[in-house]
Amino acid sequence: MQRLHARYPFLEAARETVATEAVDLATVVEREEAVVDRATQRVITALEDGDTGEPHRDHRVELLSYPVARVLVSMVGENVLVRKYARAEAATAYDRFIEDIEDTTELKSVETAGLDLEALFAEFDLREAIHGPVDGEYRIDVGTYLPLAADLWDDEWRLVNQPLERGEVPVDEGELLALLREGIRERIEDGLPFDVPETIAADLEAEAAEIREVLADLDLTREIDTVVPDLFPPCMKALLDQIQKGEHLPHHSRFAITAFLASIGMTTDEIVDLYRVNSSFGEEMTRYQTDHIRGDTSPTEYSPPSCATMQSYGDCVNKDDLCERIPHPMAYYEERIDDAEDEELEDWREGEADEAESAGD
Amino acid sequence: MEERTRAYLRGRFRDHYRRTEITPPPAANEREWGFIPWTDSPGTTMVRHRSLLELGDLSEFLVRKRPRHVYFSAGRFRDPGASSMGEKDWQSADLVFDLDADHLPGVTLGEDTYAEMLATCKDALFRLLDFLENDFAFEDVEVVFSGGRGYHVHIRDENVRHLEREHRREIVDYVRGIGLDFDELIETETVAGLGRRTPTERRHLRIDGGWGKRIHEQFMAFVDELLDLENEAALERLQAFDGIGEGKAEATLNAARNNREELEAGNVTVHTAVAQLAERFASRAVERDNAPIDEPVTTDTNRLIRLPGSLHGGSGLETLRLDRDEIDDFEPLSDAVPETFRGQEIAVDVTDGGEVELGGDIFTVSEGDQSLPEYVGVFLMARGRAEKEKE
Ligand code: SF4
Repeated sequence: MQRLHARYPFLEAARETVATEAVDLATVVEREEAVVDRATQRVITALEDGDTGEPHRDHRVELLSYPVARVLVSMVGENVLVRKYARAEAATAYDRFIEDIEDTTELKSVETAGLDLEALFAEFDLREAIHGPVDGEYRIDVGTYLPLAADLWDDEWRLVNQPLERGEVPVDEGELLALLREGIRERIEDGLPFDVPETIAADLEAEAAEIREVLADLDLTREIDTVVPDLFPPCMKALLDQIQKGEHLPHHSRFAITAFLASIGMTTDEIVDLYRVNSSFGEEMTRYQTDHIRGDTSPTEYSPPSCATMQSYGDCVNKDDLCERIPHPMAYYEERIDDAEDEELEDWREGEADEAESAGD
Repeated sequence: MEERTRAYLRGRFRDHYRRTEITPPPAANEREWGFIPWTDSPGTTMVRHRSLLELGDLSEFLVRKRPRHVYFSAGRFRDPGASSMGEKDWQSADLVFDLDADHLPGVTLGEDTYAEMLATCKDALFRLLDFLENDFAFEDVEVVFSGGRGYHVHIRDENVRHLEREHRREIVDYVRGIGLDFDELIETETVAGLGRRTPTERRHLRIDGGWGKRIHEQFMAFVDELLDLENEAALERLQAFDGIGEGKAEATLNAARNNREELEAGNVTVHTAVAQLAERFASRAVERDNAPIDEPVTTDTNRLIRLPGSLHGGSGLETLRLDRDEIDDFEPLSDAVPETFRGQEIAVDVTDGGEVELGGDIFTVSEGDQSLPEYVGVFLMARGRAEKEKE
């Protein structure tokens, strides 16, 4: 059991084991250096390599390092860290259960300490929603498919391209495993970051600082938190241009540009400012819409539409070479930002700040 | 609208609610309620963020308030009466589709009559239902005539109520055919080579469901048309497609003649020309089969929707739930005329006359004082085209 839980610490049963083993996380953090070290390594490797690194040979240490890693991620509190960390944990779990599944089929053994598909289905309450396999093909209920596939950007995952029939989407084993990986990622992301009690945080300051440093070095925050209008995809440039000229845009266009700006890390105030070049725009409306899109006034945070959707609304204009290779305006922007040299990137907001200061002189 | 007109409509709406039993939606007390009263301000002020608890018994509320419009939320909340969405604490939402004649391709506003628009809308409704009943196989499907310019469909299946906006947008795109990519519908399979032949790839269109199936149906219908034609004529039809010259036309026709079975099975790689041609049918399928629903209604999980059984204050027609087998014969402009407004005439002063098709008749209404069947009078007053005549 210990080994299984150490390998898959996000399992419900593993959480229960932790709850019974380590009654008090504060004590673990205070006394068990090995756990804290492994937890720190978990997070740092997640950032640097996209997986969670070599497991500790002691199953107990390995298992306990997971809740402590979550504490560390919460202390640092950056969204980009939460995302990278969850993705790395899920990637590791994915590699492991692929191993387990292969083992099971090779050894035909029932006594494996690994995880099989059935157990994963049960864990994620999917037993009812997944049917098959028949001829190597599973069928998954559309209501279950959609949330699992939501963050898989590639066009092949889009519902419109699926042979949906009788409410079920057929998937092969590879696709099913990718969807399960998404389910794991979501579970890991769920609830992060949380409020860390003072008593625990005090003991982990040094480790949290170390993670912050790695994060700063990697400069990952830049990836989604840089505003360089010159590097915007052509569609967004065009929309922004129209807004700044004071032209009236249909709802879907306004939604697209606003969701895009919110997704690259702009606050409502900044978006209002950016739109303000021409003074005749409706500030109130923009604020309302932006808050809504950002999820401040609604339960969901909206992401910008994909290229396919942009195209169907006629918002995809001036396509360039890079456009041919990407499925999503966000992917376009991320790639442009990645390609650019650091020095070349001047964040629009810094320019604004300079101006504001000089105006204050 | 003059006060005496408003007073009249208020009174008659009350009469209607007195004699009509309204079936509330399931989980009515977990929903937000809203209504628009009869006021004289030009803009409409909606009273919302009400829970059923605050409104009291629904029928009694309708009689008391006799609102111009009344709505309930697709969303279900822990505290539906809270004034902000955050505090309401969203739990789930019905999946709602709206087909509105104002947004339909094939409707020419200002040219089509009301009846024509609604007929176009009903065609779209059947296309939508084809997706909902077959592709999605939803079971809890409620179809409603909106009382205005179209139809609503409420889906309450357990396994979609948790879906968030993003996920619902995928459903919207599906029924509208947005983002359809022919290449993604193709499944590639490597077939071992026979003898000395190297393995080859077989590319199959997935025809077991979804848009692939729809595209394939259209493509095969076309193939069968070709097979019925004389050689000359068939080649001509093929060459009418952009980018298909003589050679490709012949190759395609050969494939149709010698390999019809393969084509029937979705094997579109019998010849590159065939693959190219099949791809053309993707956009045709979308054009023919898509359901042009109003996206924001479906993706907004907090949306307020008109209450079935209530009166539409912009037409005086009844918002009606329709049984699945009633839809075919449903005539909105007579079946949705409330009993309350039938059987008597009233005096009105028409400011904007013209033809009105209602209650199974066509009235040519002139301007000025006159006596009209009450439902025609109510319709014109609700639309702002007439006032109640001074007593
Ligand atoms: S292809 Fe995508 S990123 Fe490029 S202009 Fe069109 S919508 Fe924008």
